[in-house]
Amino acid sequence: MKRIKKILLGILFILLIAFIVIQFIRPARNVSGQVSETDILKTYNIPSNVSNLLKNACYDCHSNNTNYPWYSNIQPVGWFLAKDIKDGKAELNFSEFGSLSSRRQISKLKNVESRIKDGTMPLPTYQFIHSVARLSEDEKQLLIDWIKSTKDSIALNR
Amino acid sequence: MKNIFVVVFAFTFVVYSGSITIAQEEHQHHNKKDTTVDKTKEDIVSTLRDVNPKVTASIDKIVEHYLHLKNALVNDNSKDAAASGKEIVDAMKILDKSLLTNEQKKIYEDVEDDAREHAEHIGENAGKIEHQREHFDILSNDLYDLVKAFGSSQVLYKYFCPMYNDKEGAIWLSEIKEIKNPYYGKKMPNCGSMKEQIK
Repeated sequence: MKRIKKILLGILFILLIAFIVIQFIRPARNVSGQVSETDILKTYNIPSNVSNLLKNACYDCHSNNTNYPWYSNIQPVGWFLAKDIKDGKAELNFSEFGSLSSRRQISKLKNVESRIKDGTMPLPTYQFIHSVARLSEDEKQLLIDWIKSTKDSIALNR
Repeated sequence: MKNIFVVVFAFTFVVYSGSITIAQEEHQHHNKKDTTVDKTKEDIVSTLRDVNPKVTASIDKIVEHYLHLKNALVNDNSKDAAASGKEIVDAMKILDKSLLTNEQKKIYEDVEDDAREHAEHIGENAGKIEHQREHFDILSNDLYDLVKAFGSSQVLYKYFCPMYNDKEGAIWLSEIKEIKNPYYGKKMPNCGSMKEQIK
């Protein structure tokens, strides 16, 4: 019995050391510090209630400026966040939205609309921690309506 | 103290290991058959002249894989759809852009990135057929613009499904003169109407 306790303590000790060591492996931060000229907020006239939703619920992973929470300093949380951000930006980066062709802007917006409708975005894990990213039905509808009208106006001006 | 660290450690893994997939709600559709064939369908003839035969062959190849994809979706076969998505990406790589005139290049490149991205997504999402259909919707628009400009060696028909996308509607291209809806598969195979004939 004593032996088992010793082994368990040993394992805990190793885990603790590992936990301390990984704190020193920190991913690069996604903070450009400025709103780029190609940002969707500068490309289109977006009502403030919509832009606030975008900033609160999307921009952490889909722009060049992440608003990092305190626990992002704790590894491995920071690593998982870095991966979500990398994947998110590869899929859609609102900071570079203005540099896309009309065709691609429309198809990106279409996908955003579908993701909001099927509830896969914002990521459930992200919503779990970020209460501001939990969109109410009204907020979802607001975003969807805005996407629809923006898609139409891009198509018209193409 | 050590225990606290272990708890924190375990917690972070639980929270972040993989994203929780919310069960996708199956779209509910009434089984009303919408089989009206539009009598006013028009013939579309390609707008570009002097397309290099090699380019035409490459476009035909892309269309061929697109049609496989469409048929896989008609049959609710997500795995085949994914394979066809990958084939489309490969076929696009083969098209030799140096054979395009400036005018052709402009049209092709506009479609290219978007079409490739959606074909890639379809290729990567075997098992998620509704997700594949979403991308198929946009890909169909891209391919329609492509064949409208470059033409197609085989006659293609453009169909319209008015129900998809919360009744916003969606188009698809087909090689056959029969409505087989790729957006709803076996749930509603006859939904849609023919709009155009592309030669």
